[in-house]
Amino acid sequence: MLVIQHLTKVYPNGTHALDDVSLDVASGEFVVLIGLSGSGKSTLLRCINRLVEPTSGSVVFDGQDVTAAGGGELRRIRRQMGMIFQQFNLVKRTSVFSNVLAGRLGYRTTVATFSGHASRDDVQLAFENLQRVGILDKTYQRADALSGGQQQRVGIARALMQKPRLMLADEPVASLDPATSHSVMKYLEEINKKDDITVICSLHFLSLARRYGTRVVALNAGRVVFDGAPAEIDERRFKEIYGEDAVEVEIGPVAS
Amino acid sequence: MADYFRARGLAVPPELDRHWYTDWRRLITVSTALVVLGIGFQLTDFDPRHLQFDYAPKILAQLARPDVSVCGPQNEYETWLDGACGLMVVTIFLGIVATLIAVVIALPLSFLAARNLMTGHPVTAAIYTLVRFVFTVMRSIDVLIVVILAAVIFGIGTAAGIMALAFHNVGVIGKLYSEAIEGIETGPIEAITATGANRLQVIWTAVVPQLVNPFISFTIYRLDTNVRLAPILGYVGGGGIGVMLFQNIQLLNYRATSFIILLIIATVAVMDFLSAQVRKRLA
Ligand SMILES: Nc1ncnc2c1ncn2[C@@H]1O[C@H](COP(=O)(O)OP(=O)(O)OP(=O)(O)O)[C@@H](O)[C@H]1O
Ligand SMILES: [Mg+2]
Repeated sequence: MLVIQHLTKVYPNGTHALDDVSLDVASGEFVVLIGLSGSGKSTLLRCINRLVEPTSGSVVFDGQDVTAAGGGELRRIRRQMGMIFQQFNLVKRTSVFSNVLAGRLGYRTTVATFSGHASRDDVQLAFENLQRVGILDKTYQRADALSGGQQQRVGIARALMQKPRLMLADEPVASLDPATSHSVMKYLEEINKKDDITVICSLHFLSLARRYGTRVVALNAGRVVFDGAPAEIDERRFKEIYGEDAVEVEIGPVAS
Repeated sequence: MADYFRARGLAVPPELDRHWYTDWRRLITVSTALVVLGIGFQLTDFDPRHLQFDYAPKILAQLARPDVSVCGPQNEYETWLDGACGLMVVTIFLGIVATLIAVVIALPLSFLAARNLMTGHPVTAAIYTLVRFVFTVMRSIDVLIVVILAAVIFGIGTAAGIMALAFHNVGVIGKLYSEAIEGIETGPIEAITATGANRLQVIWTAVVPQLVNPFISFTIYRLDTNVRLAPILGYVGGGGIGVMLFQNIQLLNYRATSFIILLIIATVAVMDFLSAQVRKRLA
């Protein structure tokens, strides 16, 4: 469903963040991106929906050329891809409900946005998604009044509003404690399995990658250095990805 | 402290290896300050003995008995607006109108003076530099100077006061607003862009909510300052209660003067309180 070919990103300051990355992601996969800090995970995820403009190479999503798309077409492609972030990126001063509803913006006209009037279907969908991530009781609170885990669930609900076919997650649990991390990852697992939404998720902990990923892609200095099943990552591979001196650390056990 | 390093054969950090009598820079700073102070006393002819203490008790006695009657009209030709209380209200509105005019002009310009929005492209960067420069110039000319100029050019009166106050405030408010814009979080912008929203939708959904409260807060703060400044403006030709204050001092009407000053103090105190209350709620 997603074909990335020879993707390269050089930032204006000369940093080669991505160096000839090619990936072919099939529908229904749960791809976990790993790699050291600065290896290019965030850049890769942002090149997929072009929050970052790739320098060269192509991204094709469901037969639509993302890299060649202009204005309106790019926005129609973006709305098929949800995205969640390490810092949640909610609009803090507005309510949880407004934040979730914002996930529909790609389907709404500018005039409707300014008038602040949401359609009955959108409101209905917002309540369904809030219910789904278990924060219906927080609907009318200001977004910054929520805990980190709750804010990330608002982020997931917002992304689900897009009815996406692909979910991009940039270190969605890096700001959360282990137990909360698992509860958030489980929502991603659920939307991957039940809703058949393909997930590409960057993670810091290999233990989480092993637990939730169906496939692991490792980056090092902007290059793909490993691409395979989570179980294939043994001690030798681990050192190839993270360097000779690295030791693996565990994130706490799965809370249930 | 320096001994600690010497005892261990280490080099002593320069800021620790210093005594007041060996530190030339410190000596030069202190002696320069003393010389400047001495020259200042000489040139300004400052001498507390020149203060006229013999008149003070008499005038203080008059000031202690404010003349409440100046609040209203003084004869059948005047209306309530010509009395001190009426003029105080006029002066408050002078501050309000000047603030509103400044906001209307500064609001669009402040976006052009926000570094994070404008530095992407050479043309916008040039506009940014220009608008910033204009703000700085408008801000750095003291409001009293602007009022005097405006009164000379357009004639004494509230119009000159309003124009001058508005002029100065475009610079101040423009700077405050543009700094608020520069301080916004980019995360929400990124997230809303990722939903497939267009530029206007992104601004409306992710930028505006971040700016409403700081903008209102800054505006109220300036409103407060401007209402405070307004009485003084009258003194130099900007109309309002300042004119009346000026006239009464010239005519040695100290009881009327006293009432006017109390009126101004009360107004400023109330403004200060209200503005603090509102801004506290917005934080
Ligand atoms: N806007 C930018 N301008 C210049 N260089 C950048 C920019 N964003 C990222 N980089 C650089 O590109 C490289 C890859 O960064 P990226 O954020 O993609 O890494 P990452 O794998 O997500 O790291 P982390 O785990 O710390 O989030 C880094 O060297 C980084 O310094
Ligand atoms: Mg990153």
